Amino acid sequence: MWETFKEKFYESFIVEDRWKYITNGLRTTLIVTFAAVILGIILGFIVAMVRSTHDKTGKLKLSNVLCTIYLTVIRGTPVVVQLLIINFIVFASVRINTIYVAILAFGINSGAYVAEIIRGGIMSIDQGQFEAGRSLGFNYLQTLRYIILPQTIKNVLPSLANEFIVLLKETSVAGYIALQDLTKAGDIIRSRTFDAYFSLISVALIYLVMVMGFSYLVKLLERRLQKSER
Amino acid sequence: MVFIVGPSGSGKSTFLRCLNRLEDPTEGHIIFNNVDLMDKKTDINKHRQKMGMVFQHFNLFPHMTILKNMTLAPMKLQKKSQEEAESYAFELLERVGLRDRAEAYPNQLSGGQKQRIAIVRALCMRPEVMLFDEPTSALDPEMVGEVLSVMRELAQEHMTMVVVTHEMAFAREVADRILFMADGRIVEEHGPKEFFEHPESERLKSFLSKVL
Repeated sequence: MWETFKEKFYESFIVEDRWKYITNGLRTTLIVTFAAVILGIILGFIVAMVRSTHDKTGKLKLSNVLCTIYLTVIRGTPVVVQLLIINFIVFASVRINTIYVAILAFGINSGAYVAEIIRGGIMSIDQGQFEAGRSLGFNYLQTLRYIILPQTIKNVLPSLANEFIVLLKETSVAGYIALQDLTKAGDIIRSRTFDAYFSLISVALIYLVMVMGFSYLVKLLERRLQKSER
Repeated sequence: MVFIVGPSGSGKSTFLRCLNRLEDPTEGHIIFNNVDLMDKKTDINKHRQKMGMVFQHFNLFPHMTILKNMTLAPMKLQKKSQEEAESYAFELLERVGLRDRAEAYPNQLSGGQKQRIAIVRALCMRPEVMLFDEPTSALDPEMVGEVLSVMRELAQEHMTMVVVTHEMAFAREVADRILFMADGRIVEEHGPKEFFEHPESERLKSFLSKVL
């Protein structure tokens, strides 16, 4: 038993330096996730601003329609299809590193979810806070900036961190556009060794450990935010 | 000092909120410092700086200390230096007996304290008129007095105030004029003595018989 385990491990990771697939894949997965989350937050923030400004003041009608279309399309179609469309239609005739395609696709996808998280956060702030700000003479944007957003960010930070965890797992479909992320790395090893167990279970464990680690950090964050609320 | 009283749902708060256009009136004019606030060319934000408002539910900013609550608007909107804004804030805190709470956060305060802070936060902008929207309605009975006494002091300093309230005794004591509203209209308008002793309309008579 122990002998077969050692042999399989050797086969899967040591021969031909196959562990490099895993480390390179992991690096790619993390780069795509981090970059996509940042892109998603920027996009999501802009969309949330437009949508909540429209909800509160009735302005920005056209932008609001555009944002609503974006949200509907992105949240109404599978991320794999979006990834394929961006790779094979949008960038069909352009030579571009697939890692950028993946970042763009997952960032655009994530932005839709982040937008709704942030908008929910803004709308959950008591209307009285807006009125107090306006009554002091702040205009709409100043009220948002000094009074509403600081409270919103505190409320939505845990949800945004969770979005990061979701995205970390979602990027596992990047193999569809031949990007060698962590999942693809495991799959390559599987096809070389003809042993599915070792490669795929290892990949699963790596995801699990990362998700558990980040979940723990989110919990710490939540606890700290609660404390400062008194 | 103008008081607006009337049964609930009569449009008192809406009327008050129209004065600084937190609510948009459908028609008419609001003249403040010889400027029509309904005019599209008027910068309402500029004029709101001169109109303090106090809300039923205080609406202090929970993520800031009391001192920050008070100095935010003067520093950002009137470009006051921090020292200038803070020294005036401390002066006002002193007057309402809350100087030692400057570094506290709003939810560490009682309702009466919060409302006193809300009043001085508005005063920090050195307003020319103060609007009060049921300032004591959300308070426990034993805290009403401390808020009314702050308002009484303001009245003695001849601050122009428009107050929506159910505190009839207070209105009788300090009001210059009292408007009675019902069903979205101003039904009667008198000095306090006249108002309570010689009500004209049946509406006001029956209202007074219920609240006094």
